[in-house]
Amino acid sequence: MSAQDRVDMAKPEVTTRDHGAGVGRSLLWLQNAGLPIALVVLVLFFSIRSDLFLTVQNLRNVGLQAAALAAVSCGQTIVILTSGLDLSVGATVALVSVVSALAINHFGMAAGILCGIMTGAVIGVINGILITWFRVFPFIATLAMMSVLSGLALSISGGTPITGLPPEFTSLAYTRVGGVPLPLIVSVTVLVLVFLFLHYLRLGRHMYAVGGNRQAAILSGLNVSAITVTAYAMCSLCAAVGAIILSARVGSGQPSLGGSLPLESVAAVVLGGVSLFGGRGSIFQVAVGVAFVSILSNGLNLLNVSSYTQMMIVGGTLIVAVTFDQRFVARS
Amino acid sequence: MISAHPTNDQVRGPPSGLSAVGISKRFGGVKALTEVDLSIRPGEVHGLVGENGAGKSTLIRILSGGLKPDEGSVQLDGISRSYSSPADSRKDGVVTIFQELAIVPELTVAENIVLGAEPSFDRFGLTLSRHRANLIAESVLRRLRGDAIDPRRRAGTLSVAERQLVEIGRAIALDAQFFIMDEPTASLSPRESNALLDVVRKLRSEGKAILFVSHHLDEVLEISDRVTVLRGGRAVTTLPAKAATSEQLIELMIGRPMETLYPPRLPCSGPPVLRVRNLSRPPSFEDISFDLHRGEILGFAGLVGAGRTEIMRAIFGLEPPHRGTIELDGKTVAFRSPRQAVRAGLAFVSEDRKGDGLVAQLSGRENLVLTAAAEGGSGTVVRRASIRVLSEKIRQQLHIRGSLDLPVAGLSGGNQQKVVIGKWLLGHPRIMIFDEPTRGIDVGAKAEVYRTIQKASQDGASILLVSSELSELIHVAHRILVISGGRITAEMSSDDFDEKEILKAAFAAHLSSAATEAELRA
Repeated sequence: MSAQDRVDMAKPEVTTRDHGAGVGRSLLWLQNAGLPIALVVLVLFFSIRSDLFLTVQNLRNVGLQAAALAAVSCGQTIVILTSGLDLSVGATVALVSVVSALAINHFGMAAGILCGIMTGAVIGVINGILITWFRVFPFIATLAMMSVLSGLALSISGGTPITGLPPEFTSLAYTRVGGVPLPLIVSVTVLVLVFLFLHYLRLGRHMYAVGGNRQAAILSGLNVSAITVTAYAMCSLCAAVGAIILSARVGSGQPSLGGSLPLESVAAVVLGGVSLFGGRGSIFQVAVGVAFVSILSNGLNLLNVSSYTQMMIVGGTLIVAVTFDQRFVARS
Repeated sequence: MISAHPTNDQVRGPPSGLSAVGISKRFGGVKALTEVDLSIRPGEVHGLVGENGAGKSTLIRILSGGLKPDEGSVQLDGISRSYSSPADSRKDGVVTIFQELAIVPELTVAENIVLGAEPSFDRFGLTLSRHRANLIAESVLRRLRGDAIDPRRRAGTLSVAERQLVEIGRAIALDAQFFIMDEPTASLSPRESNALLDVVRKLRSEGKAILFVSHHLDEVLEISDRVTVLRGGRAVTTLPAKAATSEQLIELMIGRPMETLYPPRLPCSGPPVLRVRNLSRPPSFEDISFDLHRGEILGFAGLVGAGRTEIMRAIFGLEPPHRGTIELDGKTVAFRSPRQAVRAGLAFVSEDRKGDGLVAQLSGRENLVLTAAAEGGSGTVVRRASIRVLSEKIRQQLHIRGSLDLPVAGLSGGNQQKVVIGKWLLGHPRIMIFDEPTRGIDVGAKAEVYRTIQKASQDGASILLVSSELSELIHVAHRILVISGGRITAEMSSDDFDEKEILKAAFAAHLSSAATEAELRA
């Protein structure tokens, strides 16, 4: 009577659940509070080590530097929430920078910026189509696109910066509203828009559904492909905003912009507690992640740490963050 | 074969409900289903039982649109339907609740229930009205008597039973008429199972049709109006549940009397080989002491989660014990890794053969020689000729069917298990640990696994056998230790095996819950 015995014997009384939830809760707490605490420690450390760190001028600098990364990380967050990844954000920034610089020189500022943004949207849709229709892994699809877009940016620009941009464009980067750099205001706006999108629009909730349980999303009749394509389109749109900010700062269309953005954006997003496995994370935590990465690099600059060493430190930080993510997934 | 269409259907005109009509399905050369008829009618719970591999999951997938039949059709109220996906069949009100629950952990309970059909503030359905989603979820959950679940809670924090309720709630929110439930009670506690059965009864009283697929035959008989038995891809019979017993169902499922399953027990009287004293790793287990003799099969009975697997893992060096000693041939050993244990002559056939036992992409042969101790696998260079000779020997010994040259993922569960066992046998282990060796494999393969275990013990290996199937232990083991709450609560030898006593000892640490359980059933 094997089957019957199994009925009698296979009766687990779940006794370990409370214990497990306790571990999960403390880990969750660490996830949520760990980064802000680390940020505070970082700020304290740099304030003590450098007199220049806690000055209005420097904090404005940090804000300016963080602006582009923040915009790009917003997009990266959306993609990672759907359990995807976009490695092409850096190359997207380069191409958008070149395209918008050329367009600004030909059609004027507003039309030029619009051209750049549209370019971003097209790139995102291509990424999304590669991943959904052609079923290329996000990692491979966006890695390949990174090369394609970089090459495109270099050949359009002939490998040199596109200069001669009107001063009203370049001054955008240094405009302040109430003492706050305009680029930072733009990025914070993007952040708030992404927050509203993720929390109050059905499509935003569907991003969580696709990343959290793809099967559930399919069974509930969601158009998973369309949702995925939208996610990549939004990611590249955000990258395009970052490209405009960076181009204004450097005052030209640069085919070499954004090389470190894939790593930095993924680092900021994962530091912000967004799971690389998808479906879990909040955009405001990512903002803290962006602040962490930006302040880290600013502070290291002030301490005269070489950019080579900085690269190692950012890489190490990402590894630590991912280790936490893995632990968390393993426990829950 | 009894027809699934009683005559009164024809009196009423077109048959109402969801039916499978003459469905056949092949996978490559294997016929998974042959001319299966089955119907589920409004207001009915229809049980579906069968051994693993009998075709239950194939039938479910066809009914829910996940697979297309080669022959025959799925009909709704007598009209042939062709579903392209489970999402497609949902539009007709056919909802399948799979074992792997389709819950999005980061969304709230309410958001999960309205997923894909969220209420909105605007005309275009862009925004999400959390307030209205919560109201919908509340009313649905109240209907299911799941009021205790807060619609605002994150679904990831729910227990399995609660998640199941949420998924049933989603189906109700979609106004589903046909519920296909695949092993709904498999991972529920007794109380949760009873609550779920109440929900199923509620659905039935509201005129829904339910296909209830389960291994738990008592439950199937308790809840169902009719039961269909599948065997080897055919619907052997459909019978009223009232008239059936679980013994009858089992014999229909395996197609022969049950006695032939187990080999006769052979005597054993060797010196002790393994001596375990006061082994502890709280809270999993504490003060575990026993001797294992040469050629002995020592069974470990107990409830799932009693700590049996953890004890085995401790002995095998996977999770070292906090206290206690293990002596092998009189010498104290403390394995820090499975590698050390394997070197000392231990083998571990894990309960999770896909996760721990096999590399799915490698061929059967390569898996066989994967263990460090296997002769063909030692050294750096893979010697294909000797692998072939060895694996042929094992194939004959264990009656492995199917190609050993293809990835093992393609073999049936039973044959995969034989590959795992064969892999260890190649190293001539002296102590073999079997953790739920027959879980999820068909009866024929079970019989062969028992025979193999017995053969190994006759060849001088000592066996630790963890099993949740009591009859398996009673027929195969020389001695049984009962573990409850991480402690040994009973020991008996083959002369005085007693099912009731074993069960009582297995519940020893849960006496209070066992008592409430008895109350619930009464």
